[in-house]
Amino acid sequence: MGHNMNNINKSLALIFTFALVVWLPSSQALMFKHDHHATAVKKEKLTTNNKCKNAEVECAKTVTSAFAPNGDLWRLWAHQQKLWVQISQDNGVTFSAKKMLAIPAEKISARNENRPKIAFDQTGGVYLSWATPREKKYTADVRFSYSKDYGKTFIKPITVNNDNLLAGHSFNEMLVAENGDVSIVWLDGRISHQLRKQGKQSNGSALFLAQANFKDVDRNSLPVFTNQQLANGTCVCCRIAMDFNQQGELAILWRHIYGDNIREFALLTLAKNGEKVTPVYQVSHDHWKINGCPHQGGAISIDEQNRYHMVWFNQGDKGKGIFYASSDDQGKTLSQPISVGLLSGQASHPHLSQNKENIDIVWTQFNGIEHQLWHQRSIDNGQSFSKAQLLATAQNGSDRPFIIKKDKASYVSWQRPKQGHWVKVL
Amino acid sequence: MKKRVRLFFALALFVICGGSSQAQNYSIDHQPFSQMAFDKLKQQQLGNRWLMVLWSLDCPACFKELKLIQTLQLEQHGKALNVIFINADDTDEVNLERKQVLVSYEMTNFTNFYFADGQGDISRYQIDPQWYGELPRSYFVDEQGKFHGKSGLLDENLIRSWLIEK
Repeated sequence: MGHNMNNINKSLALIFTFALVVWLPSSQALMFKHDHHATAVKKEKLTTNNKCKNAEVECAKTVTSAFAPNGDLWRLWAHQQKLWVQISQDNGVTFSAKKMLAIPAEKISARNENRPKIAFDQTGGVYLSWATPREKKYTADVRFSYSKDYGKTFIKPITVNNDNLLAGHSFNEMLVAENGDVSIVWLDGRISHQLRKQGKQSNGSALFLAQANFKDVDRNSLPVFTNQQLANGTCVCCRIAMDFNQQGELAILWRHIYGDNIREFALLTLAKNGEKVTPVYQVSHDHWKINGCPHQGGAISIDEQNRYHMVWFNQGDKGKGIFYASSDDQGKTLSQPISVGLLSGQASHPHLSQNKENIDIVWTQFNGIEHQLWHQRSIDNGQSFSKAQLLATAQNGSDRPFIIKKDKASYVSWQRPKQGHWVKVL
Repeated sequence: MKKRVRLFFALALFVICGGSSQAQNYSIDHQPFSQMAFDKLKQQQLGNRWLMVLWSLDCPACFKELKLIQTLQLEQHGKALNVIFINADDTDEVNLERKQVLVSYEMTNFTNFYFADGQGDISRYQIDPQWYGELPRSYFVDEQGKFHGKSGLLDENLIRSWLIEK
């Protein structure tokens, strides 16, 4: 017994010694880092060549911003399977300390055209939606969570797509009406998944809509999202855009596949009950033929006269670059598209918003050294636009810019990775 | 004594292997894209006909193209196709996933580059200021070093005629 104990003690000593030898060099490295941490942390965040691995907003690839009805500006980003927010009460000049939302950790798609979404209702409700990648390549689920206490607590996340398939469900967009009606659209791979299982060919995804209302419901009896197929044969990697018209109908703009891989934008308006008010209208005719991923979605904004304002990017043989056009009949006919931005300056990723008399368009350009954020405004209902103005630049990459509204004012939100999130009134 | 030696070697093996959490840490020769590396590549390839393929993890059509090239390479009985791959995902988040693709599509015998974190647009611009980021993107480069760009999934016959039946 004593002999055995002796052997065990020797073995433990050996393990301890070995662990010390292995651990010592790395611990010294840690100590070295620690010594520098206090003074270097600010610099590290903003230095281009350092790997950005902390939860600060500067390190996020994408940031989503939205104004709450009380005037608070929320910004949302993902870091290590968690969602983080900051709130500004002075329109983005200063923000509160970052806060990790009380939602269980899971993978969150947050780069390029994919990013989490946030919306609000009139009574303190906060709504979140994101895509969570699944175990197989190009599979994901659209997820949703809701807080009725302005973000203090959230319901356990719900999977929005109801097919229970290991298939693609991603590129989610969300709108919440004043009464709390939630509408989420996304690109859905369930049809192509089934076709592949049958040994059949498929091309593209399907456009799906889910709707539900979570206001005034008990946590134990949450509503179930409807799932409605709106179109099939969509591009698989471009974000969707949507807005309400003056009847509260939902207008949805997405990149569709026409014919032999012609990627053009399509528009559909839905009544509140989900019935199609219009057929699917093709709204761009630039003839971009590509069996691949443009990675460039469009934007739509509808004014008080129900004029649909749209902007998109194409590289077709009939039209290249960013185009703006509007429609007074829900997409049946369109104004002559106006070219926006400098094509040779890599003008791309446009977004737009109308607000009272103004139609604002923002987009990015790249000159080989820095990214640039540009802006144009129309004050004559989109007939003409002011000269393009350079708003800001970025040195370490660029997220897509977005225009967000607060009452009569429009703001641009632009994430500049490793440099900072930029918000400015237009 | 023997037991302690065995224990020491077992511990050493565990550390060398890095434990199960790092078991998928492939050692793969791929380098960040830079203007200097690109210039060197172009210089090295002068006189050759080659294909430069840009791909992304976020592009399903790219994987069809990788599979196509993998299949064509297998047909060559050891003679290497003159293909250079560049991964266009400029984020460190995908480092492991990128390596997994290189292994699973048998791309490790080819020259591989990737866009460094946050350097995607500048790398894209260095390759072609007229390319807007759509993928897959390929360049057919002739013996004089002239680049012919094409967006979208490549046709098998086009690759064959450029690299195999030239």
